[in-house]
Amino acid sequence: MKKYLFFLLSALSLSLMGYSQAMKPELMVFPSENWCINNGYYTEVTNMDYVQKVPDYRAALQGSMDLKMAIAKINDLFAQRGFPLSDLEQTLKNIEQERAEDMLTLSKNGNELSESPLDMISRVAKADIILELSWEAIENGPKTVLTYVLEAKDAFTGKSLGGPAGPLPGSMSASLPELLNEAIVANMDEFQLRIQDHFNDMQTNGREIRLDIKVFANNEAGIDLETEYGDEELNEIIQRWMVQNTVNRRFTARDASENHIYYTQVRIPLFDDYGAPMSANDFAKKLQKALKKEPFKIPAKVTPKGLGRAVIILGEK
Amino acid sequence: MKKQIILILALVLPLLSMAKSQENKDTDKYRYDLECAGNGSAGTYLVKVWSYSKKADVAENQCRKNAVHGVLFKGYGSGTDCIGQRALLSNPGAETENAEYFKSFFADGGEFQKYASIIGGTTETTKIGKEYKVGVVVSVRKDDLRRAMEAAGILQSLGFGF
Repeated sequence: MKKYLFFLLSALSLSLMGYSQAMKPELMVFPSENWCINNGYYTEVTNMDYVQKVPDYRAALQGSMDLKMAIAKINDLFAQRGFPLSDLEQTLKNIEQERAEDMLTLSKNGNELSESPLDMISRVAKADIILELSWEAIENGPKTVLTYVLEAKDAFTGKSLGGPAGPLPGSMSASLPELLNEAIVANMDEFQLRIQDHFNDMQTNGREIRLDIKVFANNEAGIDLETEYGDEELNEIIQRWMVQNTVNRRFTARDASENHIYYTQVRIPLFDDYGAPMSANDFAKKLQKALKKEPFKIPAKVTPKGLGRAVIILGEK
Repeated sequence: MKKQIILILALVLPLLSMAKSQENKDTDKYRYDLECAGNGSAGTYLVKVWSYSKKADVAENQCRKNAVHGVLFKGYGSGTDCIGQRALLSNPGAETENAEYFKSFFADGGEFQKYASIIGGTTETTKIGKEYKVGVVVSVRKDDLRRAMEAAGILQSLGFGF
């Protein structure tokens, strides 16, 4: 009996290990907004009487062979390091499928922009880090000089992780694809080291999110953040919960009143109790559940704002 | 006849070992300068390494070892036609924490040789005071070198821990 129990526990722990190790952060390469607009790959959307240029990634992939080559090269260099990237083209196809299914579109009430293409792609691809690519070839006398930028951004916070940027040595004979290929290869090791630094930081300090806590005006529960439960006000109870549930107690309360608290630089665990990746929405729901219990019994509504931000509105659902 | 052979060996062997010890003495200090010498082909870095020794041939012989050492621990800056690179091992304590491994790795005839080859016709020699400064362009197979460090558990693979 002991043997069977031992075997069962070993098998379970091995499968859990395999599950958690399989969940690598997702990375995806995009042409930058600036590159798309400068090269004519955009659509115009009117938002509150303001005409906004929005990148058209599909048109960019269909129209620029150099872009396809550059993305394929970056994907290849990451795959060589045992870290395959999410594919932009395939993600765009998945979005079209999703649109067809639930009529998710860029526009709401005519022209109002409800979700940017970048947010939409990040959400569908569940990208943790986006790699924004752009370049410009400038003729400088007989030489062609390439300015190349590959910038990594945390999709949760929008924070830049940096990356290579600047002009590269010019060439009199190399074609643009050759110069681009050379720029990608020459800068990739430094770039991957930066990404590894970010991964190390995530593993030590958790994933960074933002959490906004608000209160419905004149809510049915009749509470605000200064409502007392025993000796403590609700804002103190939430603060204590944050201390207990953040990684290394890392968070900052930027602004607080009886109606709102804005928490920034909140470091949450990478995975939940079941080993699934945790988003800002998941973290907010955990707090929502804690407040729903005795003695508080506070109803709350959780609204996700992208991967890295969630809003909890207390008092009603 | 036997006596003569023994006598010759007795004279030559210490001289050979002295030459070796001079090489090791110069190399143990890892006195060299590294600069980029172009963007290497896929999976390689092209570096110019300047080594110092009282003997020009000793300095030249140590260039491969110094180039691999530099790529692992020092990195190098950008040049007019090429881009600098950070050291493969960014942990500053990597060398001392794995001293035994690197002693064997950089030993004469050690594994380091597999990752560096000298580009022919690139040697430059300058005499500075009592010693020689010898520069050679070396191609370092950095992708293979990184894989070897990962296999030895000295360097984490990309996405390690996930």
